[in-house]
Amino acid sequence: DSHIQYERVGADVTMKCGSMDWDAAVTWTANGTDIDESHLNGSYLILKNVDLSQSGQYSCYEGSSWHLKYQTYLRVGTPPKEPVLMCRSNNYPKGFYCSWHLPTPTYIPNSFNISVIHGTKDMVCEKDAVPKNRCHIRYLQLFSTVKYKVTLTVTNALGKNFTTLTFDEFAIVKPDPPESVVAKPVPNNPRRLEVSWQNPSSWPDPESFPLKFFLRYRPLILDQWQHVELSDGTSHTITDAYAGKEYIIQVAAKDNDIGTWSDWSVAVHATPWTEEPKHLTTEAQITETTSASTSSFMAPPTTKICDKGAMVGSGAMAVCWTAGLVMAAYSVLFI
Amino acid sequence: SPTGDSWGIFTFLCAALCNLPALPALNCSEELGAGQSIQQTYDLTRYLEHQLRTLAGTYLNYLGPPFNEPDFNPPRLARAERVPSATVDLDLWRGLTDNARLAANYRAYSRLLCYLRVLDGQVGTAELRHRLSHFCASLQGLVLSIGGIMSSLGYPLPAGPAGPPAPPGMPTAPNDFLKKMDDFWLLKELQTWLWRSAKDFNRLKKKVPPAVVTLQLEARGF
Repeated sequence: DSHIQYERVGADVTMKCGSMDWDAAVTWTANGTDIDESHLNGSYLILKNVDLSQSGQYSCYEGSSWHLKYQTYLRVGTPPKEPVLMCRSNNYPKGFYCSWHLPTPTYIPNSFNISVIHGTKDMVCEKDAVPKNRCHIRYLQLFSTVKYKVTLTVTNALGKNFTTLTFDEFAIVKPDPPESVVAKPVPNNPRRLEVSWQNPSSWPDPESFPLKFFLRYRPLILDQWQHVELSDGTSHTITDAYAGKEYIIQVAAKDNDIGTWSDWSVAVHATPWTEEPKHLTTEAQITETTSASTSSFMAPPTTKICDKGAMVGSGAMAVCWTAGLVMAAYSVLFI
Repeated sequence: SPTGDSWGIFTFLCAALCNLPALPALNCSEELGAGQSIQQTYDLTRYLEHQLRTLAGTYLNYLGPPFNEPDFNPPRLARAERVPSATVDLDLWRGLTDNARLAANYRAYSRLLCYLRVLDGQVGTAELRHRLSHFCASLQGLVLSIGGIMSSLGYPLPAGPAGPPAPPGMPTAPNDFLKKMDDFWLLKELQTWLWRSAKDFNRLKKKVPPAVVTLQLEARGF
């Protein structure tokens, strides 16, 4: 019959060949490979200072008959370190979830037990199928003055460990990031970008629990972000974008009154509308259309801002002197 | 933030002045529909919540350990139920009528104000007395503001807390430690009420259109 045996990394392991006497003649194998006699003490197998690579199946055979007398599966591992626990309410006021993980692997199976105490009441945290290591709780009461105490215990064959979190209902509120962030250029406005987004779908009641938003944007070529905080609405028009520069834009959400900001949304890229210059050569025109924003609007002759003779640079980065000066002036202002 | 504080003071003053039911002749009450007053009352709760953070920090330090420890999590003793709790069943809270919602806030803050005033009379340091009396004044403004909204919507004001601050049947703390526990829970309830009120007034904002209430103000001869 077969067992499993768990041992700590660095331990000394002695395996007995079942009920065989100490002085019986036996052969031990590890994963089918014979083990040298130097590791034997009589019929006992001695493994000193075991490491992870020594995990495997160990079998003991009677000397002459080669009968299998004993078999065990050795799993080398470690007792659990203090687990990492996180609780968060991304669906306030419905409830909250907790998720956990071990900071370092134990290499052997672990079991987790979570307990939630609210004042004198024990609450059940229902385990989620996916992802694993996560459970959720529904609030029975709102606006509680009593803290929640969550204890996570992790146990394996070599030991146990635990961690506790204590928090107020309001402290763990953190929505998911806004969804469907879209940024579009505004026709005929070379310094504008229209950004719109939606409330995260996990936030159940934006009517009674409105969210406020934080928008950040910067041209790809700069490191400094610009920020706008918006107390309502799910759209905003950026009016100070640098003409012709590609922007990266992100949005975060927070309950109007409590909790913390969400993580940043997925980043979207957009470039403000640029006027299509009319009198460039064919090659330059192709470069312009592939790098400019999605605008099918042809600049009328009256809005022409410079003669082709006054162009500086080439292709997509072609600017005329006046526009160049204006941009330089704006850049100085923003530094 | 500093700008937030001055805005808070402004809205508090406006709410206090323009919503006093005893002064119907003020011009600004005509322009203020209850919708706008709800916004101002909401702003006032945010201002108070901000003030309370500083006040509670100072007061809990005055009480000393363990009250000023961040993870102090004592069990709720039966005697601490004197203050109406903000805690409520979720569906019940959602289903509250506007009248019930406003009345719950009015009653809670009236009682909390009484208890805070008692505290004000007892504390040792000048700094605490100053902070407490400033906070009480703001809290008084909040009670008046809520009362004003209720009156303008035609709701009767709940019977105020008459008589001495300690209701009959509520014994004073037998020892110093329990007295400090009472103070701790008072501040905790106040903080929770301010968080709840923000949500209460959010709900009221959506449900009370300003136009309806301006008509009522006119009908009452305001």
